[in-house]
Amino acid sequence: MIEFINVTKHYPGRHHVLRELSLHLRKGEMALLTGPSGAGKSTLLKLLLRLEDVSRGTLMVNGVDVSTLRRRHIPAYRRRIGVVFQDHKLLMDRDVFSNVALTLQVGGLTGRQIQSRVRAALEKVGLGDRAQDLPATLSGGEQQRVGIARAIVHTPEILLADEPTGNLDNSLSTGILDLFRDFHHHGTTVLVATHDQAQVNRLGLPVFHLEQGRLHTPEEDKA
Amino acid sequence: MNLHIRLEAAKNALNTLTKQPVATLMTVLALAIVLALPVGLFAALNNLQQLLGHWRDQAQISLFLHQDVSAAEVQKLQALLEGSTGVVSVRYVGKEAALTEFERNAGMTAAIQTLGENPLPASFVVELNPLAQSPSELQTLVAYWGQQPGVASAQSDLHWVARLQAILALGKRAVWILAGLLAVGAILVMGNTIRLHIAQRRDEIDVASLVGATRAFIRRPFLYQGLFQGAVAGMIAWIIVAIAVTVLQGPVERLAELYGTSFHLLGLNSGQGLMLIAASALLGWLGSRLAVGRHLDHTFS
Repeated sequence: MIEFINVTKHYPGRHHVLRELSLHLRKGEMALLTGPSGAGKSTLLKLLLRLEDVSRGTLMVNGVDVSTLRRRHIPAYRRRIGVVFQDHKLLMDRDVFSNVALTLQVGGLTGRQIQSRVRAALEKVGLGDRAQDLPATLSGGEQQRVGIARAIVHTPEILLADEPTGNLDNSLSTGILDLFRDFHHHGTTVLVATHDQAQVNRLGLPVFHLEQGRLHTPEEDKA
Repeated sequence: MNLHIRLEAAKNALNTLTKQPVATLMTVLALAIVLALPVGLFAALNNLQQLLGHWRDQAQISLFLHQDVSAAEVQKLQALLEGSTGVVSVRYVGKEAALTEFERNAGMTAAIQTLGENPLPASFVVELNPLAQSPSELQTLVAYWGQQPGVASAQSDLHWVARLQAILALGKRAVWILAGLLAVGAILVMGNTIRLHIAQRRDEIDVASLVGATRAFIRRPFLYQGLFQGAVAGMIAWIIVAIAVTVLQGPVERLAELYGTSFHLLGLNSGQGLMLIAASALLGWLGSRLAVGRHLDHTFS
Protein backbone atom coordinates (compact mmCIF):
# COMPACT_ATOMS: atom_id res chain seq x y z
CA MET A 1 0.00 0.00 0.00
CA ILE A 2 1.21 3.48 -0.90
CA GLU A 3 -0.39 6.41 0.88
CA PHE A 4 0.44 10.09 0.50
CA ILE A 5 -1.33 12.13 3.20
CA ASN A 6 -1.27 15.90 2.55
CA VAL A 7 2.29 15.68 1.26
CA THR A 8 4.00 18.89 0.28
CA LYS A 9 7.44 19.12 -1.27
CA HIS A 10 9.19 22.39 -1.84
CA TYR A 11 12.77 23.47 -2.24
CA PRO A 12 14.06 26.47 -0.30
CA GLY A 13 13.62 29.62 -2.34
CA ARG A 14 11.68 27.82 -5.07
CA HIS A 15 8.06 27.05 -5.87
CA HIS A 16 6.20 24.09 -4.43
CA VAL A 17 6.72 20.94 -6.51
CA LEU A 18 3.94 19.02 -4.72
CA ARG A 19 1.10 20.70 -2.78
CA GLU A 20 -1.00 19.00 -0.12
CA LEU A 21 -1.03 15.81 -2.18
CA SER A 22 -3.11 12.87 -0.99
CA LEU A 23 -3.03 9.61 -2.90
CA HIS A 24 -3.88 6.04 -2.04
CA LEU A 25 -2.74 2.93 -3.94
CA ARG A 26 -3.78 -0.41 -2.49
CA LYS A 27 -1.40 -3.36 -2.15
CA GLY A 28 -1.16 -5.29 -5.42
CA GLU A 29 -2.78 -2.49 -7.37
CA MET A 30 -1.36 -0.93 -10.55
CA ALA A 31 -1.81 2.72 -11.47
CA LEU A 32 -0.43 5.24 -13.89
CA LEU A 33 0.90 8.64 -12.96
CA THR A 34 0.37 11.16 -15.72
CA GLY A 35 0.87 14.85 -16.25
CA PRO A 36 2.93 17.30 -18.23
CA SER A 37 6.65 17.83 -17.72
CA GLY A 38 7.33 19.60 -14.42
CA ALA A 39 4.03 18.46 -12.89
CA GLY A 40 5.89 16.65 -10.09
CA LYS A 41 5.75 13.02 -11.28
CA SER A 42 9.49 12.38 -10.87
CA THR A 43 9.52 14.16 -7.51
CA LEU A 44 6.70 11.93 -6.30
CA LEU A 45 8.70 8.85 -7.28
CA LYS A 46 11.84 10.30 -5.64
CA LEU A 47 9.87 10.73 -2.39
CA LEU A 48 8.78 7.10 -2.63
CA LEU A 49 12.40 6.00 -3.07
CA ARG A 50 13.42 8.39 -0.30
CA LEU A 51 15.82 10.15 -2.64
CA GLU A 52 14.13 13.34 -1.43
CA ASP A 53 12.61 14.18 1.95
CA VAL A 54 8.97 15.16 2.36
CA SER A 55 8.66 18.84 3.35
CA ARG A 56 5.26 18.39 5.06
CA GLY A 57 2.75 15.59 5.41
CA THR A 58 3.06 11.82 5.76
CA LEU A 59 4.09 9.17 3.27
CA MET A 60 3.31 5.57 4.23
CA VAL A 61 4.55 2.57 2.22
CA ASN A 62 3.45 -0.90 3.34
CA GLY A 63 3.18 0.27 6.92
CA VAL A 64 6.49 2.17 6.92
CA ASP A 65 6.39 5.91 7.53
CA VAL A 66 8.87 6.87 4.82
CA SER A 67 8.80 10.54 5.76
CA THR A 68 10.40 9.80 9.15
CA LEU A 69 12.52 6.81 8.14
CA ARG A 70 15.97 6.92 9.71
CA ARG A 71 18.85 7.30 7.26
CA ARG A 72 20.43 3.96 8.20
CA HIS A 73 17.18 2.14 7.41
CA ILE A 74 16.85 3.60 3.90
CA PRO A 75 18.93 0.93 2.09
CA ALA A 76 16.80 -1.90 3.52
CA TYR A 77 13.64 0.02 2.58
CA ARG A 78 14.89 0.53 -0.99
CA ARG A 79 15.58 -3.19 -1.32
CA ARG A 80 11.82 -3.74 -1.02
CA ILE A 81 11.25 -1.59 -4.10
CA GLY A 82 12.11 -2.09 -7.76
CA VAL A 83 12.70 0.98 -9.86
CA VAL A 84 12.92 1.51 -13.62
CA PHE A 85 14.36 4.73 -15.04
CA GLN A 86 13.74 6.41 -18.37
CA ASP A 87 17.50 6.60 -19.00
CA HIS A 88 17.88 2.95 -17.85
CA LYS A 89 20.88 3.77 -15.58
CA LEU A 90 22.78 0.73 -16.81
CA LEU A 91 26.50 0.27 -16.13
CA MET A 92 27.90 0.34 -19.64
CA ASP A 93 31.17 -1.45 -18.77
CA ARG A 94 29.34 -4.43 -17.30
CA ASP A 95 27.45 -7.08 -19.20
CA VAL A 96 23.71 -7.59 -18.97
CA PHE A 97 24.06 -10.32 -16.35
CA SER A 98 26.21 -8.17 -14.06
CA ASN A 99 23.83 -5.23 -14.36
CA VAL A 100 20.90 -7.33 -13.24
CA ALA A 101 22.95 -9.17 -10.61
CA LEU A 102 23.84 -5.90 -8.84
CA THR A 103 20.44 -5.79 -7.11
CA LEU A 104 20.97 -9.27 -5.68
CA GLN A 105 24.61 -8.65 -4.70
CA VAL A 106 23.42 -5.63 -2.74
CA GLY A 107 20.93 -7.94 -1.03
CA GLY A 108 23.73 -10.33 -0.01
CA LEU A 109 22.68 -13.39 -2.05
CA THR A 110 25.22 -16.10 -2.88
CA GLY A 111 26.66 -16.59 -6.37
CA ARG A 112 24.49 -19.66 -7.03
CA GLN A 113 21.28 -17.87 -5.99
CA ILE A 114 22.24 -14.88 -8.12
CA GLN A 115 22.89 -17.11 -11.16
CA SER A 116 19.47 -18.74 -11.11
CA ARG A 117 17.48 -15.59 -10.27
CA VAL A 118 19.19 -13.41 -12.87
CA ARG A 119 18.65 -16.09 -15.55
CA ALA A 120 14.96 -16.27 -14.61
CA ALA A 121 14.55 -12.46 -14.66
CA LEU A 122 16.23 -12.20 -18.06
CA GLU A 123 13.96 -14.96 -19.40
CA LYS A 124 10.93 -13.03 -18.13
CA VAL A 125 11.89 -9.92 -20.07
CA GLY A 126 12.87 -11.94 -23.13
CA LEU A 127 16.64 -11.41 -22.90
CA GLY A 128 17.68 -14.90 -21.84
CA ASP A 129 20.21 -15.14 -24.67
CA ARG A 130 21.77 -11.68 -24.12
CA ALA A 131 23.25 -12.20 -20.64
CA GLN A 132 26.87 -11.83 -21.74
CA ASP A 133 26.31 -8.82 -24.00
CA LEU A 134 27.31 -5.29 -23.09
CA PRO A 135 24.42 -2.78 -22.88
CA ALA A 136 25.91 -0.73 -25.73
CA THR A 137 25.23 -3.60 -28.13
CA LEU A 138 21.49 -3.62 -27.25
CA SER A 139 18.66 -1.52 -28.72
CA GLY A 140 16.85 1.09 -26.59
CA GLY A 141 13.98 -1.30 -25.93
CA GLU A 142 16.35 -4.09 -24.93
CA GLN A 143 18.25 -1.78 -22.61
CA GLN A 144 14.97 -0.81 -20.96
CA ARG A 145 14.14 -4.48 -20.50
CA VAL A 146 17.51 -4.99 -18.79
CA GLY A 147 16.53 -2.14 -16.46
CA ILE A 148 13.22 -3.89 -15.78
CA ALA A 149 14.96 -7.20 -15.13
CA ARG A 150 17.20 -5.43 -12.60
CA ALA A 151 14.11 -3.91 -10.96
CA ILE A 152 12.16 -7.19 -10.63
CA VAL A 153 14.96 -9.72 -10.07
CA HIS A 154 14.53 -9.54 -6.26
CA THR A 155 10.70 -9.80 -6.51
CA PRO A 156 10.03 -6.42 -4.92
CA GLU A 157 6.81 -5.54 -3.12
CA ILE A 158 6.54 -2.34 -5.13
CA LEU A 159 7.65 -1.55 -8.67
CA LEU A 160 8.13 2.09 -9.66
CA ALA A 161 8.85 3.28 -13.18
CA ASP A 162 9.70 6.81 -14.27
CA GLU A 163 8.78 7.31 -17.95
CA PRO A 164 9.93 3.80 -18.87
CA THR A 165 8.73 4.18 -22.45
CA GLY A 166 9.93 7.75 -22.96
CA ASN A 167 12.38 7.00 -25.76
CA LEU A 168 10.66 3.98 -27.29
CA ASP A 169 8.33 3.60 -30.27
CA ASN A 170 4.72 2.53 -29.81
CA SER A 171 5.15 -1.22 -30.24
CA LEU A 172 8.12 -1.34 -27.83
CA SER A 173 6.20 0.82 -25.34
CA THR A 174 3.29 -1.61 -25.49
CA GLY A 175 5.60 -4.52 -24.80
CA ILE A 176 7.22 -2.77 -21.82
CA LEU A 177 3.95 -1.70 -20.21
CA ASP A 178 2.49 -5.18 -20.74
CA LEU A 179 5.47 -6.53 -18.81
CA PHE A 180 4.57 -4.25 -15.90
CA ARG A 181 0.98 -5.49 -16.08
CA ASP A 182 2.26 -9.08 -15.86
CA PHE A 183 4.15 -8.28 -12.65
CA HIS A 184 1.04 -6.57 -11.30
CA HIS A 185 -0.94 -9.77 -12.02
CA HIS A 186 1.58 -11.62 -9.85
CA GLY A 187 0.76 -9.36 -6.89
CA THR A 188 3.30 -6.56 -7.18
CA THR A 189 2.11 -3.00 -6.52
CA VAL A 190 3.06 -1.01 -9.62
CA LEU A 191 3.16 2.75 -10.18
CA VAL A 192 4.23 3.95 -13.63
CA ALA A 193 4.83 7.59 -14.46
CA THR A 194 4.11 8.24 -18.14
CA HIS A 195 2.98 10.99 -20.48
CA ASP A 196 2.08 8.49 -23.24
CA GLN A 197 -1.68 9.15 -23.52
CA ALA A 198 -2.21 6.41 -26.12
CA GLN A 199 -0.85 3.79 -23.71
CA VAL A 200 -2.86 5.26 -20.83
CA ASN A 201 -6.04 4.87 -22.88
CA ARG A 202 -5.11 1.37 -24.02
CA LEU A 203 -4.30 -0.02 -20.56
CA GLY A 204 -7.48 1.26 -18.88
CA LEU A 205 -5.80 1.38 -15.44
CA PRO A 206 -6.44 3.82 -12.57
CA VAL A 207 -4.74 7.14 -13.33
CA PHE A 208 -3.34 9.79 -10.98
CA HIS A 209 -3.01 12.98 -12.99
CA LEU A 210 -0.66 15.63 -11.64
CA GLU A 211 -0.60 19.26 -12.69
CA GLN A 212 1.47 21.96 -10.97
CA GLY A 213 2.02 19.69 -8.00
CA ARG A 214 -1.67 18.95 -7.40
CA LEU A 215 -3.62 15.79 -8.05
CA HIS A 216 -6.51 16.10 -10.50
CA THR A 217 -9.28 13.55 -10.70
CA PRO A 218 -10.59 12.59 -14.17
CA GLU A 219 -13.81 14.44 -13.33
CA GLU A 220 -11.89 17.64 -12.62
CA ASP A 221 -10.00 17.24 -15.88
CA LYS A 222 -13.24 16.84 -17.84
CA ALA A 223 -14.73 19.92 -16.14
CA MET B 1 28.46 -10.65 7.79
CA ASN B 2 28.52 -13.33 5.13
CA LEU B 3 31.96 -14.41 4.03
CA HIS B 4 30.90 -14.61 0.39
CA ILE B 5 30.05 -10.88 0.38
CA ARG B 6 33.54 -10.05 1.63
CA LEU B 7 35.11 -12.43 -0.89
CA GLU B 8 33.07 -10.86 -3.67
CA ALA B 9 34.20 -7.39 -2.59
CA ALA B 10 37.85 -8.56 -2.46
CA LYS B 11 37.51 -10.08 -5.95
CA ASN B 12 35.93 -6.87 -7.18
CA ALA B 13 38.84 -4.86 -5.75
CA LEU B 14 41.45 -7.13 -7.35
CA ASN B 15 39.67 -6.92 -10.71
CA THR B 16 39.67 -3.13 -10.54
CA LEU B 17 43.38 -3.06 -9.71
CA THR B 18 44.40 -5.54 -12.42
CA LYS B 19 42.29 -3.76 -15.04
CA GLN B 20 44.53 -0.70 -14.61
CA PRO B 21 47.99 -2.23 -14.11
CA VAL B 22 50.03 0.89 -14.90
CA ALA B 23 48.06 3.17 -12.57
CA THR B 24 48.12 0.50 -9.85
CA LEU B 25 51.87 -0.01 -10.25
CA MET B 26 52.57 3.72 -10.06
CA THR B 27 50.52 4.11 -6.91
CA VAL B 28 52.14 1.10 -5.28
CA LEU B 29 55.67 2.27 -6.21
CA ALA B 30 54.98 5.79 -4.92
CA LEU B 31 53.78 4.31 -1.64
CA ALA B 32 56.72 1.89 -1.47
CA ILE B 33 59.25 4.69 -1.91
CA VAL B 34 57.51 6.81 0.72
CA LEU B 35 57.67 3.85 3.12
CA ALA B 36 61.21 2.76 2.21
CA LEU B 37 62.73 6.03 3.45
CA PRO B 38 61.80 5.75 7.16
CA VAL B 39 62.22 1.98 7.05
CA GLY B 40 65.72 2.42 5.59
CA LEU B 41 66.59 4.90 8.34
CA PHE B 42 65.20 2.50 10.91
CA ALA B 43 67.49 -0.20 9.51
CA ALA B 44 70.43 2.23 9.63
CA LEU B 45 69.73 2.92 13.32
CA ASN B 46 69.55 -0.80 13.97
CA ASN B 47 72.97 -1.14 12.41
CA LEU B 48 74.36 1.67 14.56
CA GLN B 49 73.00 -0.10 17.63
CA GLN B 50 74.71 -3.25 16.44
CA LEU B 51 77.93 -1.28 15.93
CA LEU B 52 77.71 0.08 19.45
CA GLY B 53 77.34 -3.45 20.75
CA HIS B 54 80.33 -4.44 18.63
CA TRP B 55 82.49 -1.84 20.29
CA ARG B 56 81.42 -2.55 23.80
CA ASP B 57 84.70 -4.29 24.66
CA GLN B 58 86.52 -1.07 23.88
CA ALA B 59 84.66 0.77 26.63
CA GLN B 60 87.46 0.60 29.18
CA ILE B 61 88.01 2.13 32.58
CA SER B 62 91.53 2.44 33.93
CA LEU B 63 91.84 2.68 37.72
CA PHE B 64 95.36 3.83 38.65
CA LEU B 65 96.43 2.81 42.12
CA HIS B 66 98.57 4.61 44.69
CA GLN B 67 102.27 3.67 44.71
CA ASP B 68 101.93 2.36 48.27
CA VAL B 69 98.74 0.36 47.75
CA SER B 70 98.64 -2.81 49.82
CA ALA B 71 97.96 -6.31 48.50
CA ALA B 72 94.83 -6.48 50.66
CA GLU B 73 93.48 -3.28 49.12
CA VAL B 74 94.19 -4.64 45.65
CA GLN B 75 92.32 -7.87 46.41
CA LYS B 76 89.35 -6.02 47.92
CA LEU B 77 89.20 -3.67 44.97
CA GLN B 78 89.34 -6.55 42.48
CA ALA B 79 86.42 -8.27 44.23
CA LEU B 80 84.41 -5.04 44.14
CA LEU B 81 85.06 -4.53 40.45
CA GLU B 82 84.24 -8.09 39.46
CA GLY B 83 80.97 -7.94 41.33
CA SER B 84 79.78 -4.72 39.68
CA THR B 85 76.98 -4.58 37.09
CA GLY B 86 78.04 -4.22 33.46
CA VAL B 87 81.61 -5.35 34.02
CA VAL B 88 82.77 -7.65 31.23
CA SER B 89 86.31 -8.27 32.51
CA VAL B 90 88.80 -7.03 35.11
CA ARG B 91 92.53 -7.16 34.46
CA TYR B 92 95.17 -6.25 37.04
CA VAL B 93 98.32 -4.65 35.61
CA GLY B 94 101.12 -4.61 38.14
CA LYS B 95 103.88 -2.00 38.17
CA GLU B 96 106.36 -4.23 36.30
CA ALA B 97 103.82 -5.25 33.70
CA ALA B 98 102.88 -1.59 33.18
CA LEU B 99 106.50 -0.71 32.63
CA THR B 100 107.01 -3.54 30.16
CA GLU B 101 103.91 -2.52 28.27
CA PHE B 102 104.93 1.12 28.25
CA GLU B 103 108.38 0.32 26.95
CA ARG B 104 106.92 -1.90 24.23
CA ASN B 105 104.36 0.68 23.07
CA ALA B 106 106.23 3.92 23.56
CA GLY B 107 109.77 2.76 22.74
CA MET B 108 111.19 4.92 25.56
CA THR B 109 113.29 2.27 27.33
CA ALA B 110 116.39 4.47 27.62
CA ALA B 111 114.51 7.42 29.13
CA ILE B 112 112.78 5.22 31.67
CA GLN B 113 116.09 3.62 32.74
CA THR B 114 117.55 7.03 33.56
CA LEU B 115 114.86 7.51 36.26
CA GLY B 116 116.32 4.67 38.29
CA GLU B 117 112.98 3.45 39.62
CA ASN B 118 109.69 2.46 38.00
CA PRO B 119 107.41 5.55 38.06
CA LEU B 120 104.37 3.76 36.65
CA PRO B 121 101.56 2.82 39.04
CA ALA B 122 99.76 -0.49 39.18
CA SER B 123 96.26 -0.35 37.70
CA PHE B 124 93.08 -2.19 36.97
CA VAL B 125 91.75 -2.24 33.37
CA VAL B 126 88.00 -2.79 33.50
CA GLU B 127 86.06 -3.57 30.34
CA LEU B 128 82.42 -2.51 30.46
CA ASN B 129 79.34 -3.22 28.45
CA PRO B 130 78.12 0.33 27.77
CA LEU B 131 74.63 -0.92 26.92
CA ALA B 132 74.18 -2.62 30.31
CA GLN B 133 73.60 0.72 32.05
CA SER B 134 72.83 4.27 31.08
CA PRO B 135 75.78 6.62 30.54
CA SER B 136 75.01 8.53 33.75
CA GLU B 137 74.90 5.27 35.77
CA LEU B 138 78.25 4.27 34.31
CA GLN B 139 79.73 7.66 35.19
CA THR B 140 78.47 7.32 38.75
CA LEU B 141 79.97 3.83 38.98
CA VAL B 142 83.35 5.07 37.76
CA ALA B 143 83.28 7.97 40.21
CA TYR B 144 82.48 5.50 43.01
CA TRP B 145 85.42 3.28 42.07
CA GLY B 146 87.65 6.35 41.95
CA GLN B 147 86.89 7.02 45.65
CA GLN B 148 87.86 3.54 46.84
CA PRO B 149 90.92 3.11 49.15
CA GLY B 150 94.06 2.59 47.11
CA VAL B 151 92.73 4.21 43.97
CA ALA B 152 94.62 7.32 42.87
CA SER B 153 92.55 8.17 39.82
CA ALA B 154 90.06 6.76 37.35
CA GLN B 155 90.12 7.35 33.63
CA SER B 156 87.34 6.35 31.37
CA ASP B 157 86.65 6.50 27.67
CA LEU B 158 82.88 6.41 28.18
CA HIS B 159 82.30 9.91 26.87
CA TRP B 160 82.12 8.76 23.28
CA VAL B 161 79.64 6.05 24.29
CA ALA B 162 77.44 8.66 25.94
CA ARG B 163 77.66 10.88 22.87
CA LEU B 164 76.88 8.02 20.52
CA GLN B 165 73.91 6.96 22.63
CA ALA B 166 72.63 10.54 22.65
CA ILE B 167 73.00 10.73 18.87
CA LEU B 168 71.18 7.43 18.50
CA ALA B 169 68.35 8.64 20.72
CA LEU B 170 68.11 11.80 18.63
CA GLY B 171 68.20 9.75 15.43
CA LYS B 172 65.43 7.48 16.70
CA ARG B 173 63.24 10.45 17.56
CA ALA B 174 63.92 12.01 14.16
CA VAL B 175 63.05 8.74 12.38
CA TRP B 176 59.76 8.49 14.29
CA ILE B 177 58.86 12.05 13.34
CA LEU B 178 59.79 11.39 9.72
CA ALA B 179 57.89 8.10 9.75
CA GLY B 180 54.82 9.89 11.12
CA LEU B 181 54.97 12.56 8.42
CA LEU B 182 55.52 10.02 5.67
CA ALA B 183 52.67 7.87 7.01
CA VAL B 184 50.40 10.88 6.60
CA GLY B 185 51.84 11.25 3.10
CA ALA B 186 51.09 7.60 2.36
CA ILE B 187 47.52 8.03 3.59
CA LEU B 188 47.09 11.07 1.34
CA VAL B 189 48.55 9.24 -1.69
CA MET B 190 46.16 6.34 -1.14
CA GLY B 191 43.24 8.66 -0.41
CA ASN B 192 43.81 10.52 -3.65
CA THR B 193 44.10 7.30 -5.63
CA ILE B 194 40.87 5.96 -4.18
CA ARG B 195 39.18 9.31 -4.81
CA LEU B 196 40.02 8.86 -8.51
CA HIS B 197 38.67 5.30 -8.46
CA ILE B 198 35.48 6.58 -6.85
CA ALA B 199 35.11 9.23 -9.54
CA GLN B 200 35.50 6.54 -12.21
CA ARG B 201 32.84 4.39 -10.55
CA ARG B 202 30.42 7.13 -9.59
CA ASP B 203 27.65 5.70 -11.81
CA GLU B 204 28.01 2.27 -10.22
CA ILE B 205 27.89 3.78 -6.73
CA ASP B 206 24.79 5.82 -7.59
CA VAL B 207 22.96 2.82 -9.08
CA ALA B 208 23.96 0.59 -6.17
CA SER B 209 22.65 3.22 -3.77
CA LEU B 210 19.34 3.37 -5.69
CA VAL B 211 18.85 -0.39 -5.46
CA GLY B 212 19.49 -0.40 -1.72
CA ALA B 213 23.22 -0.79 -1.17
CA THR B 214 24.41 0.07 2.32
CA ARG B 215 27.39 2.31 2.98
CA ALA B 216 29.38 -0.77 3.99
CA PHE B 217 28.57 -2.56 0.71
CA ILE B 218 29.75 0.41 -1.36
CA ARG B 219 32.75 1.12 0.83
CA ARG B 220 34.10 -2.43 1.07
CA PRO B 221 35.72 -2.88 -2.38
CA PHE B 222 37.54 0.46 -2.02
CA LEU B 223 38.82 -0.52 1.42
CA TYR B 224 40.15 -3.79 -0.02
CA GLN B 225 41.82 -1.84 -2.82
CA GLY B 226 43.63 0.31 -0.25
CA LEU B 227 44.52 -2.72 1.84
CA PHE B 228 45.93 -4.69 -1.12
CA GLN B 229 47.88 -1.78 -2.55
CA GLY B 230 49.27 -0.93 0.87
CA ALA B 231 50.36 -4.53 1.49
CA VAL B 232 52.10 -4.78 -1.89
CA ALA B 233 53.77 -1.38 -1.30
CA GLY B 234 55.04 -2.71 2.05
CA MET B 235 56.54 -5.76 0.33
CA ILE B 236 58.24 -3.58 -2.28
CA ALA B 237 59.56 -1.23 0.45
CA TRP B 238 61.05 -4.30 2.18
CA ILE B 239 62.70 -5.34 -1.10
CA ILE B 240 64.06 -1.80 -1.67
CA VAL B 241 65.67 -1.81 1.79
CA ALA B 242 67.08 -5.31 1.22
CA ILE B 243 68.61 -4.19 -2.10
CA ALA B 244 70.11 -1.06 -0.45
CA VAL B 245 71.65 -3.20 2.33
CA THR B 246 73.10 -5.60 -0.26
CA VAL B 247 74.58 -2.76 -2.30
CA LEU B 248 76.16 -1.12 0.79
CA GLN B 249 77.40 -4.38 2.31
CA GLY B 250 80.72 -4.52 0.41
CA PRO B 251 81.86 -0.90 1.06
CA VAL B 252 80.87 -1.15 4.74
CA GLU B 253 82.84 -4.37 5.21
CA ARG B 254 85.91 -2.82 3.57
CA LEU B 255 85.58 0.26 5.80
CA ALA B 256 85.34 -1.95 8.88
CA GLU B 257 88.47 -3.82 7.79
CA LEU B 258 90.36 -0.52 7.64
CA TYR B 259 89.46 -0.02 11.32
CA GLY B 260 90.68 -3.50 12.10
CA THR B 261 87.27 -4.92 12.79
CA SER B 262 84.49 -6.69 10.92
CA PHE B 263 80.94 -5.52 10.46
CA HIS B 264 77.95 -7.01 8.68
CA LEU B 265 75.03 -4.76 7.73
CA LEU B 266 71.58 -5.97 8.77
CA GLY B 267 68.36 -5.43 6.86
CA LEU B 268 64.90 -6.15 8.24
CA ASN B 269 64.30 -9.53 9.80
CA SER B 270 61.18 -11.46 8.86
CA GLY B 271 59.22 -10.21 11.87
CA GLN B 272 60.06 -6.60 11.09
CA GLY B 273 59.26 -7.18 7.40
CA LEU B 274 55.85 -8.62 8.22
CA MET B 275 55.18 -5.71 10.54
CA LEU B 276 56.08 -3.33 7.72
CA ILE B 277 53.61 -5.06 5.38
CA ALA B 278 50.88 -5.00 8.01
CA ALA B 279 51.48 -1.32 8.82
CA SER B 280 51.54 -0.43 5.15
CA ALA B 281 48.30 -2.32 4.50
CA LEU B 282 46.76 -0.47 7.43
CA LEU B 283 47.85 2.89 6.01
CA GLY B 284 46.34 1.96 2.63
CA TRP B 285 43.10 0.94 4.30
CA LEU B 286 43.03 4.16 6.31
CA GLY B 287 43.60 6.35 3.25
CA SER B 288 40.78 4.55 1.43
CA ARG B 289 38.49 4.81 4.40
CA LEU B 290 38.97 8.57 4.62
CA ALA B 291 38.43 9.10 0.89
CA VAL B 292 35.42 6.82 0.53
CA GLY B 293 33.89 8.08 3.78
CA ARG B 294 33.87 11.65 2.49
CA HIS B 295 32.30 10.55 -0.79
CA LEU B 296 29.62 8.48 0.89
CA ASP B 297 28.74 11.34 3.23
CA HIS B 298 27.92 13.24 0.05
CA THR B 299 26.07 10.33 -1.63
CA PHE B 300 23.96 9.43 1.40
CA SER B 301 23.26 13.01 2.56
